[in-house]
Amino acid sequence: MIAITPYAIDLVTIISGISRPEAGGIDVFVGTVRNTSKGRRVRELEYSAYVPMAEKLLKEIEHEIRNKWRVCEVALVHRVGTLTVGEIAVVTAISSPHRKEAFEACRYAIDRIKSVVPIWKKEILEEGREDSERAASKSRQKP
Amino acid sequence: MTKVNVKVFGPLRDILPTGEVNLTLKSPCTGESVLLQLIHEYPAVEAWKGSLRLAVNQEYTDLSHIINENDEVSFIPPVSGG
Repeated sequence: MIAITPYAIDLVTIISGISRPEAGGIDVFVGTVRNTSKGRRVRELEYSAYVPMAEKLLKEIEHEIRNKWRVCEVALVHRVGTLTVGEIAVVTAISSPHRKEAFEACRYAIDRIKSVVPIWKKEILEEGREDSERAASKSRQKP
Repeated sequence: MTKVNVKVFGPLRDILPTGEVNLTLKSPCTGESVLLQLIHEYPAVEAWKGSLRLAVNQEYTDLSHIINENDEVSFIPPVSGG
């Protein structure tokens, strides 16, 4: 189950979608919108993606996981659009015969998503200012 | 000449709000020459130069990659999903 979706992520659907009779457990990571960033109050996060490439990379990550661990099913789902504090931005979930593989693969999945999948967040702060990596880039450019 | 359609995403959309631009370059052209032309036309992209990764046909590759007409070319700013 691989998706970049503009719709709210439903955990029950994901978990039931990857449960298998051969599985002894399901490990789930749920990434949510935090109310602070670098000490400032966050109101919303706007997520955008290069959707076809992001879905392609999610499939590659699933493939990597299946090469490394004996797992039953893999769910990698990331939301796009404007999310408020507490909403689910990303879910990685793994069903496997034994818990060790599920924990390791789930950790690997979220780490890989954060490092390679073309998805970006823009912070909308409480005071109404926008921030993104752009501001950081600009400040680095100053001599 | 090679006509290249460049797509941009994430924070680069603050510079190119339409999300894409058509460039015409001398053949043969590489990812690097496409990036230099993009910076020539949109100087604000220069600030990102060191942190962009090239993707051709939705796969990461290096800047020396030869770009052919009809390739899907994108420069990927540091990702921040999750």
